[in-house]
Amino acid sequence: MDNSETRLVTIFENVFPDLPTDRIPNASQDSVQNWDSVAAITLMNLIEEEFGIQMDFDDLGELTSFKKILAYVEGKVAQTA
Amino acid sequence: MKLAEALSIVRKAPADGLPLKVVLACGFTPLHLQNFFAAHLQQAHPDRKIEVSVGLFEDIPGTLKLLGKHGVQAGALVLEWADLDSRLGYRQLGGWGQRVIPSILENVKARLKHLEALISEIPSSATLAVSLPTLSLPPGFHTAGWQVSEAELALHELVISFGRNLAAHPSVSIVSEQRLNADSPVSARYDFRSDLNTGFPYSSQHAAVLGRALAALLNPPKPKKGLITDLDDTLWAGLIGEVGHEQVSWDLASHTQFHGLYQQMLGALADQGVLIAVASKNTAEIAQKGLARTDLMISGDKIFPVEIHWEPKSGSVARILKAWNIGADSVVFVDDSPMELAEIHSAHPDVECLQFPKADYQAGFAFLQKLRDLFGKPRLSEEDSFRLESIRQGQQFHEATKGGDSTEQLLAAANAQVTLEFNPPASDKRVVELVNKTNQFNLNGVRFTDGEWHEKADDPNTITLAVSYQDKFGPLGKIAVVRGTREDHSLRVNAWVMSCRAFSRRIEYQTLLRLFERHGAASIAFDFVPTPKNKPMADFLRELLDQEPTNGVVLTREKFQEKLPKLYHQLIEKNG
Repeated sequence: MDNSETRLVTIFENVFPDLPTDRIPNASQDSVQNWDSVAAITLMNLIEEEFGIQMDFDDLGELTSFKKILAYVEGKVAQTA
Repeated sequence: MKLAEALSIVRKAPADGLPLKVVLACGFTPLHLQNFFAAHLQQAHPDRKIEVSVGLFEDIPGTLKLLGKHGVQAGALVLEWADLDSRLGYRQLGGWGQRVIPSILENVKARLKHLEALISEIPSSATLAVSLPTLSLPPGFHTAGWQVSEAELALHELVISFGRNLAAHPSVSIVSEQRLNADSPVSARYDFRSDLNTGFPYSSQHAAVLGRALAALLNPPKPKKGLITDLDDTLWAGLIGEVGHEQVSWDLASHTQFHGLYQQMLGALADQGVLIAVASKNTAEIAQKGLARTDLMISGDKIFPVEIHWEPKSGSVARILKAWNIGADSVVFVDDSPMELAEIHSAHPDVECLQFPKADYQAGFAFLQKLRDLFGKPRLSEEDSFRLESIRQGQQFHEATKGGDSTEQLLAAANAQVTLEFNPPASDKRVVELVNKTNQFNLNGVRFTDGEWHEKADDPNTITLAVSYQDKFGPLGKIAVVRGTREDHSLRVNAWVMSCRAFSRRIEYQTLLRLFERHGAASIAFDFVPTPKNKPMADFLRELLDQEPTNGVVLTREKFQEKLPKLYHQLIEKNG
């Protein structure tokens, strides 16, 4: 697991405390019951806080799984680097 | 605190911890404010599981009505301008400008009146922390931003008046605007993007500060009880032994005003019941002349005891603690000398040592704020006004014993009056305060929130007894509280505390005697638990029982009668 992925897993652990860590890499809105709009905004704020990036609210609708969020974050981090 | 840390704290709450139910009432999506609020409460109650419920979206009245019900005994109300009239926010397009201002003012007035009525119905057993609007008003006023309009002032006036009325409610505390301004700059509070996209108007930083402030109001730290101060270059500027009592100073002209402000602060603290003492290395008769100066900003009779000699100050502090009969962790020691502070810290590690900042204006300003925080209490009680006097009287009482009067003669001649108040009203905050701040004569050290204490009072088998005392030396006020339950022909005492100021007057015996008599109990069981500080309680029970006290230990009426000394109190009984 690379550094970004580890940091994102920690974020998911905080937002979804009932989700086992080994299931996080495959987590999606469909598979996680508590992944509602509040959880999505909390994820967004934690990601901004942790990675120092600004996310666009319009992108939230597309960010429906751990894998998609990881790819999005890595792209944003690369842009700001 | 960062959001990740807040979530982590909440996540790590003990799953099997006793729930502490709290409501958060606000007119916007509470999002991270809820997380920060919960995290700070969790830190204050590490053994509990904090459950913050937020009620229905935008339903502030409905959420407030949950207070005092279903085990919810504490809550926070967070108001923003948009909650008072949606046109004062950015999420609804209801019109701005001069045309709508009269209707906005009417609306805000009616809304605040309604909220005030709702809050006045909150049971006094519950506690509510309130935050008045913290965000700026929107730009819908006719003046430029650097000029305040009459309408804006009118809105502020309505909110201030509302806050002032709430502050008089015994269950309500209000977040300090001044402190919030210092901790969370106004310009960094509002998150326009978040407000428009999610309905949450605060920046994470502001939510963190506000969450902490609300949690602090619901769990204020225990105020310190006493301050021991040095004299030279602390209470006054100059070394009195060298320059003489007329030359030490504390005024603007001598550029020593800060010492006058410190005296003034000590005077104010003494008036609110804080004990003030002096520990100084000096020649006593010279330093006493300084203390006798009539322009001192704290009256000399407010300072007790006064230890002035050339012996180590650690000994002075030990004697002062003994005279006050309070724990070292309730005391602050102030001195300009780092060496003296180090000596006190080494001998009395629980005493909070503060260096007097005599040459640093900024540090001096912060020092005064620090004193306010250390000694501040949510409300003053009657006992605060005569605490020092009762300590002096206690000394006279003990001196009289030493002076050859036998204890029996002294007690017989004391004209002691014990007032027993059964089931005192929930509005009497002194009862829970006494239970939560008494350490030495304390059955088990269990602390209660207001809500937890009063929740049990509703049980018909619960007995609560508050004890007040006075004698010819003066009143001690409310000094003891007992909480128990009736069980057939016996009683079980779950909580029992008595202020150390009331020791040696046999009030504990009188209390037990009346409990046996009034309830026809054949025995009393005690939920005793040893704590690091409750040796006086353990000693008392050991003496009564002729055995080491344990949890659930039982005292029979026969055994108590065997041990009961002669009592000289005049009794008054009341029912709350």
